[in-house]
Amino acid sequence: MKISVNTIQKLNKDNGSVADPTIGSLPKLVERIGAQLGGVEEVTPIWAKYNGALIVTVVSCDDHPNADRLHVCMIDDGGVAHGVDRNENGLVQVVCGAPNVKAGVNVVWLPPNVTVPSSYDDDPFVLEARELRGVVSNGMLASPKELAIGDSHEGLLIVDGPVSPGTAFAAHYNLAGDEIIDIENKMFTHRPDCFGWLGVAREIAGIQGQAYKSPDWYRADMAVPSATSHDLPLEVQNEIPELVPRFMAVPMANITIGPSPVWLQTDLARVGVRPINNIVDLTNYYMLLTGQPLHAYDYDKVKALDGADHTTIVVRNPHYDEKLTLLNGKDVTPRKEAIVIATETQAIGLGGVMGGGNTEVDEGTTNIILECASFNMYSIRKTSMSSGVFTDAVTRFNKGQSPLQNAAVLSQIIKDIQAVCGGQVAGEAIDLNHLPVEVQQRGSLYLDVVVSRAFINSRLGLQLTTEDMSRLLTNVEFSVTTDGDNLTVRAPFWRTDIEIAEDVVEEVGRLYGFDKLPLELPQRIITPAPKNSLLETKKTIRHILSSAGAHELLTYSFVHGNLLDTVGHNRDHAYKLSNALSPDLQYYRLSITPSLLEKVNANIRAGYGEFALFEFGKAHIKGERSLDEPAVPGEKHRLAFVYAADTKNWATEQGAVYYQANEYLMRLVDTLGLSRGKLRLVPLHGSFDAANAAVDAWVAPYARQRSALVMYTLDGAPNGSDTLIGVIGEYKPSVVKALKLPQATAGFELDTLLLQLAARQNVAGRYTQLPKYPSLSQDISLKVSREVTYQQVYDCIWQALQAAELAGMLPRLTPLDIYQRQDDAEHKQITLRLTVASYEKTLVDAEVARLLDTAAAAAADQFDAERL
Amino acid sequence: MYMEYTYEQIRATANVLRDQVSGLTDLTKKRAIMNGPELRGLYAQIPLLEASERPQFGQEINQLKNELESTFARIETAQEQASVTPIDITAPYDINVPAEKRPTLLSSANGSRHPLLVERDTILDIFYRMGFTASESREIDDDYHMFEALNFPEGHPARDDYDTFMTEDGYIAPAHTSTMQNRLLKQYAPSLAKGQPIAVVVPDRVFRNEDVDARHEHTFTQLEGIYVDKGVHAGQLMATLKTFLTEYYQKDVEIKTQPFYFPFTEPSFEFALSCPFCDKSGCNVCSYTGWIELLGCGMIHPNVLREAGIDPSVYTGFAWGCGIDRLVMMKYDIEDVRHFQSGKLEFLGQFK
Repeated sequence: MKISVNTIQKLNKDNGSVADPTIGSLPKLVERIGAQLGGVEEVTPIWAKYNGALIVTVVSCDDHPNADRLHVCMIDDGGVAHGVDRNENGLVQVVCGAPNVKAGVNVVWLPPNVTVPSSYDDDPFVLEARELRGVVSNGMLASPKELAIGDSHEGLLIVDGPVSPGTAFAAHYNLAGDEIIDIENKMFTHRPDCFGWLGVAREIAGIQGQAYKSPDWYRADMAVPSATSHDLPLEVQNEIPELVPRFMAVPMANITIGPSPVWLQTDLARVGVRPINNIVDLTNYYMLLTGQPLHAYDYDKVKALDGADHTTIVVRNPHYDEKLTLLNGKDVTPRKEAIVIATETQAIGLGGVMGGGNTEVDEGTTNIILECASFNMYSIRKTSMSSGVFTDAVTRFNKGQSPLQNAAVLSQIIKDIQAVCGGQVAGEAIDLNHLPVEVQQRGSLYLDVVVSRAFINSRLGLQLTTEDMSRLLTNVEFSVTTDGDNLTVRAPFWRTDIEIAEDVVEEVGRLYGFDKLPLELPQRIITPAPKNSLLETKKTIRHILSSAGAHELLTYSFVHGNLLDTVGHNRDHAYKLSNALSPDLQYYRLSITPSLLEKVNANIRAGYGEFALFEFGKAHIKGERSLDEPAVPGEKHRLAFVYAADTKNWATEQGAVYYQANEYLMRLVDTLGLSRGKLRLVPLHGSFDAANAAVDAWVAPYARQRSALVMYTLDGAPNGSDTLIGVIGEYKPSVVKALKLPQATAGFELDTLLLQLAARQNVAGRYTQLPKYPSLSQDISLKVSREVTYQQVYDCIWQALQAAELAGMLPRLTPLDIYQRQDDAEHKQITLRLTVASYEKTLVDAEVARLLDTAAAAAADQFDAERL
Repeated sequence: MYMEYTYEQIRATANVLRDQVSGLTDLTKKRAIMNGPELRGLYAQIPLLEASERPQFGQEINQLKNELESTFARIETAQEQASVTPIDITAPYDINVPAEKRPTLLSSANGSRHPLLVERDTILDIFYRMGFTASESREIDDDYHMFEALNFPEGHPARDDYDTFMTEDGYIAPAHTSTMQNRLLKQYAPSLAKGQPIAVVVPDRVFRNEDVDARHEHTFTQLEGIYVDKGVHAGQLMATLKTFLTEYYQKDVEIKTQPFYFPFTEPSFEFALSCPFCDKSGCNVCSYTGWIELLGCGMIHPNVLREAGIDPSVYTGFAWGCGIDRLVMMKYDIEDVRHFQSGKLEFLGQFK
């Protein structure tokens, strides 16, 4: 919202208000606006553009001797300009090519050494005295375009009204010293009144502690000027009062369309609104002044559309597939709930958004219909968005302009139209007012708010008196009565945001100055605040894995459908964005691993030959509901890990890279305090049948032959059953190929919540007391069929040891070697080392050997294992 | 195990497709077949059928698709079995791997932690010490929590300021961590009666449908704060944030507020701090303004409290939402916000 300090100052003066925005320095004003009204985006010293521009009278205008279209003019500047050549009469010679230059008119002269205003911001062009086809021109006479107040370059700006030659252009049009302050619109989302100069002027007075007074015409209960004739009969039907609470219209006859007076043009242009013609400019002016958009239709065009002897406007929803060409030439098919302004046969406007091209006011217009209506803000917003039309009217209507100001605005603009464009009211003014009678009578949108001094002070931390509060509010024209410690507050009719006591608190606090509130911390009790255990677990894992040389990364929560396809995910199970930025970000993830895999190749190419990545993320499976909140989708907390090494960093004799991922998994298991005894790795192939979409997606990228489900025995699980907490392995050849992964790539994806639960359950039992007596170690080598797993052998030995006389001993069983002879592919040899100590005595070798004999016997029994 | 199909057209197409699929040994043709003219031709026939026939016909097309999917699954498994030799997944290392070649963790010198998450933990630690607890947010939520419970009725213009991603099912990728506000207020409301304030922060990922450049990300990290008790006022909000920032930057900072508008707070503010990098003398970080606009905040709107079952005439509270990415970018002078989610080790590796 751009406002001119000069415009506000002049409005205040004209309205008889004592408020003056220039009471302090400009920086101070800007600071206060920032602190108490809203963010200031920019302050522009617009006055500087017009330095040196003078209003002059063209005394004579003769043809240029050497050019057909140029004129040589002698101008009277009242002798104001310095350092220019003058003739014996003190006149200055200027060459001018404008078709409308002639003796006797007042125009704007840009003397030598003055910058052309339109070039001021970008590429300043400084004028000089120079010859044009042999005749000296001292500076130039300016068009509206050169003065940066319009697009017209066809002719000179003709200054209207009496003015003495030599008057500074800026002074004459209230531009001297003017600054344009641009305040962020966002702040005014709930303040439709601040989309008008009067509203902002009022607020500026309020925050400066000054009492504001609105113009009399705005506050008085205005009646629309009565008809001087009934030449232009008009009827209005409102079929949708729930969307159009108030619709006012009045016909005016004998209007003369033409350029606006220069004061009006400069008032618009300084805040960036392009002058068009006097009717359009005046409707724009009143919109900028009051926040109330208005629209003028060409009466005769409206009437001609129906070809009837009466003129009727119908406010309605569009007919099926109804089309409309807007003023800007755009064809729209309004959504079916849109507000359409129509004749009996045709639409003539998209209500509150933009008028139709078929009834546009143009140079030939003599009769108009002026519309001043109130529209449902939500409806306007939706229509604007669905039709892609965004206008200044939409910006205002979608904030909900007060329907209590229509009559005042309409009455006043009629007066200005009569003054500027001539004409008169030529039919009864229509006011279809659907506001509740009590609202109309009260003249305020909501009931009075009764609020106590204590209520306000306690929410602001202040000690204001009721008088202080009352003054702050009445400065911006609230009605306030006080009764003891209670204030009864009635908002003025333009305020749509004062409904409850908290609204009054905000108002008092803002007008007082939030920056003056006392800073004091809340008193706190000594109870420790509980930490979030999941976040703490993640933090611990972050430390464990980064200490183990892995990089934590973050990838997007959305992926390309092709990535889902590539890893064998089913797109139908993934939530799909309806408004994705690009196909790269179209689907929610079904698991986190694919996102990590996608980052492997780029890093290999960047020269990283061996690395590990991990990420905490959330997987979402369509159809799965949140357990504690069934209304929303479930979220699966996951930790994904990937290890990758190129051929330089992973030698063939290192075997399957699966074991590298396993090494990380075991580090995590050990450091988080999970029990290896409760952990079980189950081959992905064979035993596994995808139970549901979530598990299906979880395991999808993994190669069945070289991957495992990570199962864990959680306390309290039914029947001591194992819970699936993750999957580990290498990736399918198709995934490796499609994502250009190095052969040595493996990883895992775990459920973070279950990991946390497991870690929490195993705090007890982590430590075993140490025996006082020395330990002994002996190895056992077993040759078993290649089908027998390491785990089976280990468990068999371990259980045999437990079953033997291990009481009072602390055993440790660790792998030493897994070997396969080249000439015997059917078998493998597993060597384990038993390290054992007793709590009671010093063990001798024979005792340990006996233990291992027992174990070997068990293995022979179970797997035909041959002890080597 | 071929399915039986009732409709002649489907049977015919099934035979054609079975021929195409038989003998395939890899998945290179899968996409072409699954999106091919044969299946599309069947779909095109649906509108031509009697309305009563359509569901059954559609179902059978889906059955055919499933049949093809499972055939492809078998092909994939066979392909994998041919190229990947099985291993003993329960072993600690592979057969015949010499001791010095067995799996070892990478050197800890390699590892790194993500700067955004490290900073989040640092910030969290300060709030823990100030008496706040913490909660995570969600990545997919409903309109109620994202907007309605926060006093943004349907069609409210303030919704325009949140360029939200929507799913086809009408869910929302939360554009602010405030999507947790109603839940947390409800969860902790019982503690108010015991004389304990609600004090909680929510650090998590949020999403905005915004074009990405060096300064803008569609995915970023926010930290929400909520504090509710008897007698909480706006001065306490400012003091709490100032105290946090002083601790975070380990130096005194000045604060500045601008009135703002959010539907879920009233009054609402934009909150700025004096630039801690140049002490207001003007530098690159603060764009030579001396101030850094940091966050939005305000007193929780009574409708929001009421919606969570808290009586706004008894309790008042404040809330704020602060972007973490920017804090981290300023701290390390990171030039491009896109690095955070790039997965580039050149970037991540610098945060040991």
